[in-house]
Amino acid sequence: MSNQKEYPRNRADSKIAKIVIDRDLCIGAASCLAVSGTTYELDGENKAVVTGADSVDDATLVMSAESCPTKAILLFDKEGKKVFPR
Amino acid sequence: MSSYKYLIIGGGAAGVSTAETIRRVDPTGTMAIVSNEPYLMYSRVMLSKPAFFLGKIPFNEIYMKGKEWYDQNHIDFLGGKKATKCDSTSKTLTLTDGSQITYEKLLIATGVDARKWSAPGSENKANIHSLRTLEDGIAIMEEIKTAKHGITIGGGFISFEMADLLNLAKIETTLILRESYFWEPILDEASGLMIEKALTSAGIKIIKNAEVVMVNGGIVNGSTNNPGPELESDRKENSPAIVSNNDSNTQSPEPITTPGFDSLKPVNTTNQIQGPITSVVVKQTKPDLKEIEIPCEMIIAGIGVTNPTGWLADSGVKTNHGIVSNEFMETSAPDIYTAGDIAEYKDLLLEENVQMGNWVNAREQGRVAGLNMTGSHEAFKFVSFYTTQGCGVNIAFVGDVAPGPDRTVITRGSPEINSYGRIIVVNNEIEGATLINRSAEMTTISKLIEKNMDVSKLHKELGDPNFDLKKLI
Repeated sequence: MSNQKEYPRNRADSKIAKIVIDRDLCIGAASCLAVSGTTYELDGENKAVVTGADSVDDATLVMSAESCPTKAILLFDKEGKKVFPR
Repeated sequence: MSSYKYLIIGGGAAGVSTAETIRRVDPTGTMAIVSNEPYLMYSRVMLSKPAFFLGKIPFNEIYMKGKEWYDQNHIDFLGGKKATKCDSTSKTLTLTDGSQITYEKLLIATGVDARKWSAPGSENKANIHSLRTLEDGIAIMEEIKTAKHGITIGGGFISFEMADLLNLAKIETTLILRESYFWEPILDEASGLMIEKALTSAGIKIIKNAEVVMVNGGIVNGSTNNPGPELESDRKENSPAIVSNNDSNTQSPEPITTPGFDSLKPVNTTNQIQGPITSVVVKQTKPDLKEIEIPCEMIIAGIGVTNPTGWLADSGVKTNHGIVSNEFMETSAPDIYTAGDIAEYKDLLLEENVQMGNWVNAREQGRVAGLNMTGSHEAFKFVSFYTTQGCGVNIAFVGDVAPGPDRTVITRGSPEINSYGRIIVVNNEIEGATLINRSAEMTTISKLIEKNMDVSKLHKELGDPNFDLKKLI
């Protein structure tokens, strides 16, 4: 059972409704923070957590997920379909 | 002669980040990525992580981009080729196969090479590894299936992570350090000893003030030019670097650029190697001078990097250790940019040219280079950081952590509470930090470095491990 944590997103202009961090995959590389420091933080276990799910637009959010070297950030649309990674 | 508007040398994090950025701005400009490895972009970071190494996630997850990404973005992938010459006047690049390509904008993001480790008896032996490429990783993954004893050499990230990995793979692991404590002199002794304690508590032996003086076993038959373990990919005709999926060997087989594990694993042929290495002799100079023989079937060395810049001689591109650039990632030659580990860039925060190789820098520099190659004028201004974890300890470096006489170090926490940070202050401003089990403070400290704030009256707060640093932002 993978250790995933879900964060709902409620931005009116967004097609992305949920951010998921796979904590087993996350290695705390913090590349997501470099792209969007308002969306993520590292917690005491050196894992990314979402602290501002609505803070940036979809393009920036996708870039932050793309930057992860272990594909630990998953993005889902309102129908529950995975939009990243494809 | 082929011609591209954007030509990128290097298929890793920096090169692909540049390509992504260019495509967001310019959807149609012709583009190619030249890579000395035949594989599509994979995660070099994942190579040293337990989840990947121990097979907890599928092997093919290593690939960050599939063929469809290159196709959809109209990017030609020229894999298994190396640039050998660059003429910045005629804007022409020459590749190992003799082909020439002209460009309008060129990015050099070749990365760096692992420094080759050697000791008496190590020549032409299999079972001696560095970790840089996918094939390095595969060779190690294959050997951990049978090795009973392994050693890692060096006092940095690679040695730390690989010792953790070997240990997790139930291999009796010894880490050999030339220095007197781990990560000397970047860390202070207290931090180094915390890491050593984590390693030894996990069951890893550490020998300090020591170096390998002899490698035993792994006898090579005859030739002194043994190229090392043969790869599946080496055995394919007409395609020396790329695995073919066409066994009938008919015309122009389509290369597999995202091969699976079995296609990549090394095959030891009996006419080249007689068995694995068997032991190493380690000479320790302190506290007593002695030599110790350690059984060992594999060695992984992480002793730094070398910069592949020789091919740029006479190109007009200035090199020092790496490729010199300004803060816009522009080199000294017109329309030639650099990014990633090879870039010796002007750091606006440190006000000097530095090389800081890590995934996040590579991605961010690639983004800036991509913007500037498409007409922007954006500076790379970024506080570098790097984190790792293993054996129950997490380690983070932020900003400039190099030791120096002009630096004041303010400590937060202590080894006794297993949470210890060092904030490095230069001219009353925070310039860097090393954090052991305090990674959560990394982003806040990055912001404090960016602010250039005067902390001369804040030493008490910075030194209080319970003080919330966010209050200073």
